[in-house]
Amino acid sequence: MADKPSDLVQGTLDMLILKTLALEPMHGYGIAVRLEQMSKGVFRLNAGSLFVAFQRLQRDGLISSEWKATENSRRAKYYALTEQGRKRLNSETREWERQVAAIARILEAS
Amino acid sequence: MSLLRSIAGGLRWLFRKDQVSRELNEELNGFLEMAAEEKMKQGMSRNDALRAVRLERGSREVSKEAVRSAGWESFVETCWQDLRFAARMLRKSPGFTAVTVITLALGIGANTAVFTVVNGVLLRPMPFPQADRLFLVSLTPRGGPFEWQPGVSDRDYLAFRDQDQVFANIASFTRGTTANLTGVGDPVQIPVAYVTAEFFATLRTNPEIGRSFLTGEDEPGNDNFVVLSNELWRGRFGSDPEILGKTIRLDGVSRTVIGVMPPGFAFPGAAVWMPLTIPIDQHNSFTRPVVGRLKTGFSPQQAQAELETFAERLPLGPGESKRDRMAQIIPLKDLLVANIRPSLLVFAGAVAFVLLIACANVANLFLAQSTGRSREMAMRRTLGANRLRLVRQLLTESTLVSLAGGAAGILLAFWSVPVLTALAPAGNVPRMEMIRIDGWVLAFTFGLSVFTGILFGLAPTFQATRPDARESLNQAGRGMTVGHEGIRSALTICEIAVALTLLTGAGLTLKSFLRLRAVNPGFSPHSVMTMTVDLPDSAYRTALQMQAFHTQTLAELSRLPGVLVAGAVDWVPLGGELAKGTFQVEGGQRPRGFMVDKPCVSPVYFRAMGIQLVHGREFTERDSATAPGVVIVSQSVARTLWPGEDPLGKRISMEDEPKPEDWLTVVGVVDDVKQQGLAKNSDAAIYQPYLQVSSPFFLGHMTFVVRTALRPESVAAGMRGILRNVDKNQPIAIASMDSLIAAATAESRFQTRLLTTFALIALALTIVGTYGVLAYSVAQRTQEIGVRMALGARSADVLRMLLKKALVLISVGIVLGGVGAFTLTRVLTRFLFEVKPSDLPTLAAVALTLALAILAACYVPARRAMCVDPMAALRHE
Repeated sequence: MADKPSDLVQGTLDMLILKTLALEPMHGYGIAVRLEQMSKGVFRLNAGSLFVAFQRLQRDGLISSEWKATENSRRAKYYALTEQGRKRLNSETREWERQVAAIARILEAS
Repeated sequence: MSLLRSIAGGLRWLFRKDQVSRELNEELNGFLEMAAEEKMKQGMSRNDALRAVRLERGSREVSKEAVRSAGWESFVETCWQDLRFAARMLRKSPGFTAVTVITLALGIGANTAVFTVVNGVLLRPMPFPQADRLFLVSLTPRGGPFEWQPGVSDRDYLAFRDQDQVFANIASFTRGTTANLTGVGDPVQIPVAYVTAEFFATLRTNPEIGRSFLTGEDEPGNDNFVVLSNELWRGRFGSDPEILGKTIRLDGVSRTVIGVMPPGFAFPGAAVWMPLTIPIDQHNSFTRPVVGRLKTGFSPQQAQAELETFAERLPLGPGESKRDRMAQIIPLKDLLVANIRPSLLVFAGAVAFVLLIACANVANLFLAQSTGRSREMAMRRTLGANRLRLVRQLLTESTLVSLAGGAAGILLAFWSVPVLTALAPAGNVPRMEMIRIDGWVLAFTFGLSVFTGILFGLAPTFQATRPDARESLNQAGRGMTVGHEGIRSALTICEIAVALTLLTGAGLTLKSFLRLRAVNPGFSPHSVMTMTVDLPDSAYRTALQMQAFHTQTLAELSRLPGVLVAGAVDWVPLGGELAKGTFQVEGGQRPRGFMVDKPCVSPVYFRAMGIQLVHGREFTERDSATAPGVVIVSQSVARTLWPGEDPLGKRISMEDEPKPEDWLTVVGVVDDVKQQGLAKNSDAAIYQPYLQVSSPFFLGHMTFVVRTALRPESVAAGMRGILRNVDKNQPIAIASMDSLIAAATAESRFQTRLLTTFALIALALTIVGTYGVLAYSVAQRTQEIGVRMALGARSADVLRMLLKKALVLISVGIVLGGVGAFTLTRVLTRFLFEVKPSDLPTLAAVALTLALAILAACYVPARRAMCVDPMAALRHE
């Protein structure tokens, strides 16, 4: 990967958000920062795509939201994984692993 | 589940927009603030940090827009915006809106009205449960006079019923017969149907009160039962709740009422139903319609196959061939609507043309308007609207206009459908009672309106959104007509072409109608009154009794003041009846397939009817039952049987195997008469004096014809009195011969009127449209014309320049329209009488009329251009 922050593979942002929320409920900025840290700066997310994803996930019933105070006593909307979201995360992770393994096999073979 | 949530989320967006938007705002602000704080911790100033965050994460407004446009609700939102904007634009130019809406209302309204009729007559199902499983079984000869009357002969019907595997029920019935109802109020002739016992079960419709016929009640001697229609029960019997078991008199026969049908049930056009007894007769066999209900799981194709196999196996009678039994399985509805279908489809086509012209007109108006708006469009594009977005907005505008036109069109249809049905020839349009504006019609109009809006909206839309944004902004906003000129001319040409096609169609039917009216029917219909009686065989058991009735009535009629001559004939010409038969020629052979009418007439019938006696003598009182048998033949009989010979004194017989006393001598020759219809060929006929005819079949039905000195209606009251005097149980059916002629031309007149109306609307729209195009072009070119005149052009030159443009449009339109007319008017062939669809004089006359009308309309704006004051036009610059 180059020095420039990279675009996400189509459709993976949802999965990554769900993964981030698997540990604990978080607010939007927290999710962005966590994703950047964990990817060691490979992914840098702009507010627009992030919030579109939140809206989509919430409408699909995979995450829920709630206004709470942050550690800096600022009001922020915290997102949490729903039961349905947890199931989806598991199934998507499995599917992802299967695909990555398959792609890896193909790349190694040639 | 997630769909529901998505809808709920979207609805929350739409209806609690402020709250949702505030929340999003706060959340985004927090997000950006937190990001900025992070940067400030690293030592940036607040301003720098905010700018850096904006660059990195995107600005708040852009993010908000991204979130907003991600859900489906944003589509609804922009649609709503477009709609409100469109409504505002239309309100701003009320004149434009009014003209477009009225034009479309005419087009859509006419289409809605015609579709209402088509829907009622052709499309709506028959009013029976699972009507799509009902089919007619038909084994009729290919070709010949009965080709279009589906039916099965009694013999074949019984055989088919016994072996049939695919129909759950099968029934035979009669249609078109009448009976005299007496004993309740005035005697009245009502339509009746004789039906086999399975009839009601086949249609799955049971009487509302009482029961239907039982098996065995359709056998001779056990068939004195009757089922009434709800309408007759209410109208004639005052909804008598005790009606069951009572007797009514039909044609003098008492019948016990066993049931009353539900309201609206009249199939096959009857007021009462009686059991049909099928006579088992080896020599004669009636042919009647047969209806069957398919068993579940069987298709019409299987029924067709079964019927074909059955027809193959039937033994051929003497003189019969395979061609005499064409196996057909036909949807039941066709029994009623097969005849009217082509004509209705022609109307639907014509009215669609009217709508096309309306569309072209409105598209032209929109084009003109969009010229004024090209700066607005360019501005929007510069501000970031993409082309699709602009197209959507303009289409919303045009659709809004066409929906308004559609709404007005429905109002128009509410008013014009009753007019349409009232104009329709009485008795010629079946299923009239099914015609009404229902959900399907409304859906059709809605769909048509949307389609229309897109159709006329597309051309202006692409035109309006095409010009390069910067170029348009740079222009001063005046005099940019160039790009539109092409589309506008093309639209005008199409309009002229379509109008020409329509006008040609109307012109052809008009010419055909005039020809039909000018046809010589072979008799002279003016000042002739007719009175028709049906003598029931219950009251008139013998031919003698019937003859006595006729003699007495004739005697009294000829004494009636105002009556010049009184005659009688069993089947009056143009009366809609057809009875053809064979005969034998003494010492000769009847040409194969040559059948004749066998009217039985009174002595002075020919004089009363105005039929020319060509040769020989009339019948007289002396040609009585005891006198030697005589006949009078029509000219075509004489020509066919005895070409070049004197027919007088030749002998023929109506019997298949004549005995010596059966030979009848020809004593006269008369003109041929149109018996079946004005458009049909004259029928060969052999006339017999009624006193020499002994079969009640030829005597029971009789039409008295009187030639009057004054208007025929003046003797009507007297005729009525005579009939009541001779037999008070006879229903009165009096009509002038002129009205019978009018009825014979009614269908053609209706068609001509309707097509002419459509064509005139089309003509008016075309004139208005072309006028508009030219007037607009003159207005746009005022400066140019001013310059030309300032440079020395005379007003005649200007006029020539403008009319040349109009002439080019007209000529191209007429050439294209001529081609269209030649191709399309072919569908009229079957309706045209003695006129070919490619009738050049009609086409030429119509084209000339159209060209002159349009030129006249164009003269107005051209005239205005001539009066342009060069100084004023130039100063305007």
